[in-house]
Amino acid sequence: MRAVTDNKAGNSQTEIPKVQIQGLSKSYPGDKSPVLALRAVDISIAEGEFVSIVGPSGCGKSTLLYVLGGFLKADGKVLVDGKTIEGPGTDRGVVFQEYALFPWLTVRNNILYGLERGPLPPDERARITDRLIGVIGLKGFEDRYPRELSGGMKQRVAIARTLACDPAILLLDEPFGALDAQTREVMQDELLRIWLETRKTVLMITHDVSEAVYLSNRICVMSARPGQIVDEFKIDLDRTIPREQLFTSDAFNKTRNEVWISVRREALAAEKLNAKV
Amino acid sequence: MENTANKRALQIRSVISVLTIVVLWEAVARAGLASPLFLPAFTTVLAEWWTVCADGSLPSDLLTSLFRAFAGLFAATVVGVLLGIAMARSRLVHWMFDPVIALAFPSPKIAFLPIFILWFGIYSISKILLVAFACVFPIVIGTYAAASAVNRVWIWSAYSLGTSNLALLFRVVLPAAWPRIFAALRVALPVSLVTTFTAEMVGGGGGMGATLMYSQRFFESPTVFAYILTMLVVGLVLDAMMLKIQQAFPAWHGNV
Amino acid sequence: MQRSDRRSVFWSPAGRIVPLIVICLIWQAVSAAKLVDPSFLPSPVRVGYAMYDLLAGREIRDNLLVTLARAAIGLVLGSAAGIWLGLMMARSERFRAYAAPIVGGTYSLPKSALIPLLILWFGIGTATTVCAVFLACLLPMVVNTSQGVASTPRVLVWGAEALGTRPREMLLRVFLPHALPDIFTGLRVALGFSFVLAISSEMIAATNGIGKLIFMYGENGAYDYMFAAIGCVVVVAFLADRLLLVLTGKCLRWHESTVSQVAS
Repeated sequence: MRAVTDNKAGNSQTEIPKVQIQGLSKSYPGDKSPVLALRAVDISIAEGEFVSIVGPSGCGKSTLLYVLGGFLKADGKVLVDGKTIEGPGTDRGVVFQEYALFPWLTVRNNILYGLERGPLPPDERARITDRLIGVIGLKGFEDRYPRELSGGMKQRVAIARTLACDPAILLLDEPFGALDAQTREVMQDELLRIWLETRKTVLMITHDVSEAVYLSNRICVMSARPGQIVDEFKIDLDRTIPREQLFTSDAFNKTRNEVWISVRREALAAEKLNAKV
Repeated sequence: MENTANKRALQIRSVISVLTIVVLWEAVARAGLASPLFLPAFTTVLAEWWTVCADGSLPSDLLTSLFRAFAGLFAATVVGVLLGIAMARSRLVHWMFDPVIALAFPSPKIAFLPIFILWFGIYSISKILLVAFACVFPIVIGTYAAASAVNRVWIWSAYSLGTSNLALLFRVVLPAAWPRIFAALRVALPVSLVTTFTAEMVGGGGGMGATLMYSQRFFESPTVFAYILTMLVVGLVLDAMMLKIQQAFPAWHGNV
Repeated sequence: MQRSDRRSVFWSPAGRIVPLIVICLIWQAVSAAKLVDPSFLPSPVRVGYAMYDLLAGREIRDNLLVTLARAAIGLVLGSAAGIWLGLMMARSERFRAYAAPIVGGTYSLPKSALIPLLILWFGIGTATTVCAVFLACLLPMVVNTSQGVASTPRVLVWGAEALGTRPREMLLRVFLPHALPDIFTGLRVALGFSFVLAISSEMIAATNGIGKLIFMYGENGAYDYMFAAIGCVVVVAFLADRLLLVLTGKCLRWHESTVSQVAS
């Protein structure tokens, strides 16, 4: 339950962190009594940081993300740029695990969707859309419907759709959880490339410890329900070297093992909890 | 515990909705906002309903109609289930009957009533046969879908254990397909009622529909309303009964 | 190799008509052999002549058009109202709480039972028929629409919100498109109902229309014309259903199950 406020990721000015979450608690109505999903969680995320939250299933990681996204209300403070959030907004783009693409719109129209509400003129919107389609590598698929795409392709479109609005913050809820191993690796590389280019503030929820270590510069480990941040790791890897080298390097594996042990501890605690219940 | 509370709330809301309608109805009628011909007061309708019950005319009409509906439904079930299974087991049978079914399925079966009256007269037998004709379609289609989906592995296992073809039908195919067949029956039930009532309205020959038309011709509004309400209640009760039967046998309901 | 060739011939459009032709041949044989009284079952040849006569003449065209017009108006109005009601029910908890029992209750009432009531109110003629069709089409559309809206995944809604969709836009931009497949399913049911109610209503209470025509031919003993008129109704209903399936396929190109829908 340590509040972390030092920003190593970017500037050293004493500016307000991009995201501040203080004393966040969320409970759901349950069968017999309310279930506490999160208990007094504190997190700060500096601008340009890539933060991953890992932890056992059902510990409330996704709930935290949904609250930050503005979809759920909770007790406590949630500040973005120092101001309390009021519901969902285009400043916080979200990519869900189940592809929330509009099945009745083509790839192009899905990406255009967020832009249509913006102030930009039509030709500017078209330009942005085409550029993004190129960025995600789906040129030639602009007029396909989501049902014609593979899982990986759908997630690419989901990412592009979110990026179209140019949000300052990206919220990713286990974005690659539903993909097969190979596709997952490709998508992780894509995401890393996009992040290195755009340097957006990212909060990612994931089960995959290796993925978290590969992509983030900070990892928070969440305990079993009720969720609290119990551990934190700063990741400082050289991400310019190829994936093969990175994954087999000592530095990577040392960090990965540390994180994994921490998560495992929480997972075992969660097992005991479930066994009791 | 929450579920019971929800159910209770739903029941209360249902009662409130119905009561509101009844009260509004009574108020509008009594205020003279509509002529008694168009909208007799609810209490008048209720009184009339009591009268026709007491003198036996409503019960006898109801019995006639229900007899026709159920007889037709029964015939449709026997024919429909057998045909559906036959179509599922034999590609030839499927090929032979599929175009006929596909062609006739979207058509309004009531259009065939004059044919049935021509061949079988205006009394019960023509109605029963028309009901059977109308109900056989959803039953065949539902049975065919259910029987085709019966797990091949079961059938092969049964064969390898020495089951004959007829035994296979009764001991493997029918039990496995039964939940979906029953669902088709639940769909066919309102069809049987509608067809019976409509056939009686068009063709006469006694029953709820015929009396309904008769009352309308003589502008006996309370009777018209009373009969319509009875049909409504009967339909509700029968569907609720089928639901209860379905729920009483969870095996019939399950996803196998 | 040979077996699959044979199979595909069976199932080609030509192959599928064969059983119908066989039925006609059996029918013709039965009539020719005078196994039944020809007034009870006119031979296919006579019915064929009658059908030709009807189609060439104006009687069936005019009456058929009248019936189709009534059914269409009732269908369109009833479906529109049903969709609107379904949307309301799915979006407003209170509305649904009080409307749901009424919807559930009238589900069991055969709508044709209301025809005598409608005659009391509107007399014999078009208003009664259109009203009967309207009432019959209402329910399947309400049920299917509200089902389609209620089944919208919350991830879809949240995604739309995060992209800046305002609350008042949600209905048209998210809920309605998502409900479209269910709406089309409901339309297919409503189409069937519209035919049934139109014909029933005309048989009972109308001065024109194909339902009335069939009834009249029956009363006057012109049985070959009666059979021919019924045949026309069957064909028109079949074609209307197919047309709707084609339309559904076009509008739901994006939906996973489109292929299977059209094939059935």
